Amino acid sequence: MKKKLFTAVLSVLLICTLLAGCSSGSASTDSSSSGNDENTLVIGVDDQFPPMGYRDDDGNIVGFDIDLAQAVADKLGMELKVQQIDWSAKELELDQGNIDAIWNGLTITDERKEAMDFTDPYLQNAQVIVVKKDSDIATKADLSGKTVGVQKSSSAKDALDADAIESELKEVVEYEENVSALQDLGIGRTDAVVVDKVVADWYIKDENADYKVLDETLAPELYGVAVKKGNTELLNKIQTAFDEIVADGTAAQISEKWFGSDIIYTGK
Amino acid sequence: MSWDYIVTLFVPLIQGAGMTLAVFAVTFILSLPLGFCVTLQLNSRHSFTHWFAETYVYILRGTPLLLQILFVYFGLPLIPGIGPYLTFSRFTAACVAFVLNYAAYFGEIFRGGLLAIDPGQYEASKVLGLTRFETMTKVVIPQMIRVCLPSISNETITLLKDTALVTVIGVAEILHYAKTEVNRDGTPFPFVLAAILYLIINFVITFIFKKLEKKYEQ
Repeated sequence: MKKKLFTAVLSVLLICTLLAGCSSGSASTDSSSSGNDENTLVIGVDDQFPPMGYRDDDGNIVGFDIDLAQAVADKLGMELKVQQIDWSAKELELDQGNIDAIWNGLTITDERKEAMDFTDPYLQNAQVIVVKKDSDIATKADLSGKTVGVQKSSSAKDALDADAIESELKEVVEYEENVSALQDLGIGRTDAVVVDKVVADWYIKDENADYKVLDETLAPELYGVAVKKGNTELLNKIQTAFDEIVADGTAAQISEKWFGSDIIYTGK
Repeated sequence: MSWDYIVTLFVPLIQGAGMTLAVFAVTFILSLPLGFCVTLQLNSRHSFTHWFAETYVYILRGTPLLLQILFVYFGLPLIPGIGPYLTFSRFTAACVAFVLNYAAYFGEIFRGGLLAIDPGQYEASKVLGLTRFETMTKVVIPQMIRVCLPSISNETITLLKDTALVTVIGVAEILHYAKTEVNRDGTPFPFVLAAILYLIINFVITFIFKKLEKKYEQ
């Protein structure tokens, strides 16, 4: 009896170790800590932010930003490592050197510019208001007295906070991810969602959702790549390589693959 | 919904299960002995040792595990002087926080188990001429384990579910993969698969503890 039990416990532990081994083998980007290694570029992404960065069917992190970062890393002769991070802890991750850059549809804001250094913008975006197709909300002013969903610690939240309409809202509900906010809109717990335009367009197309995007937007904004404050060397390296992939058409190709057209932003 | 689609959803979850089980196994194996040390310190007659263990349990039980994970990963490296030595990888940081937290709970469970043993047993052991070490290992601990098993089983199941917290420091476990699938496909169905996976693992844990309880029955 004793022996049997011991064997049982031992085999369970063995399976655990094996499984752990498998997972660290196939998804080595997940658990490893930092890449202060000269030849590795570690970018931090929210892996729940389609189409900029998300997990495909095999669990690999893919997306528009990932392809761009890969192209830049190739130019630099560096190995790209994609590290999934908790979006609300992104500043800490960058500050402590756990990641080298944040490259994931990161909106350039004045507040963020104080905390990190940005490259030139590479994509134009806007914070848009998404409502159900049959909703009677047609303009921003109609949001008065309504419940609005946003992703927490996102630029959508900042844009909403900065807008005069914020004080007239009934409630702002904060979600972990954009898609949760959009799903909850479908369930009917919120009346509208403020979200990045690229995400809204992608979601409505991909899910064939009964949503519409209002013409009136909250704030036009630009995406950039951020590195730790003061890391000018890496910033310049990324910028130079990025300019090269824009010049040789690689960036345009990647944009067409994900958005159907070349929407790379080049006006500084 | 095709069978193929369900399999497609399931593969990343299994990958996540590897991480979940790794955190679970490391925590379980390390926190039990550490928890027993905490119990011994709690019962110590030496007042500083006793005070130290009490403070430890108070802090670790009194703050959210989520906060402890964030503190170990983000907070410890910032301590002046020793910070660089306390900079852990994501996985290690998760395990450190879990082991410290669960040791506090297990420590209290073992203490409860010791309290359940009649003082007469210590006297009887003395009369029989057993040394203190023999009294502990042959008389007290086997009984303590019997009393503690149901609580330990309870806490172990909680531990498995708590592993879902490690996603805040970027460790991808079952629930994290399920969330990425929910966000990609716009359907909550992967949550159902994640629930099934947790239930399967907990079935095994419950089974093992049932067997153990049988073994320690008088």
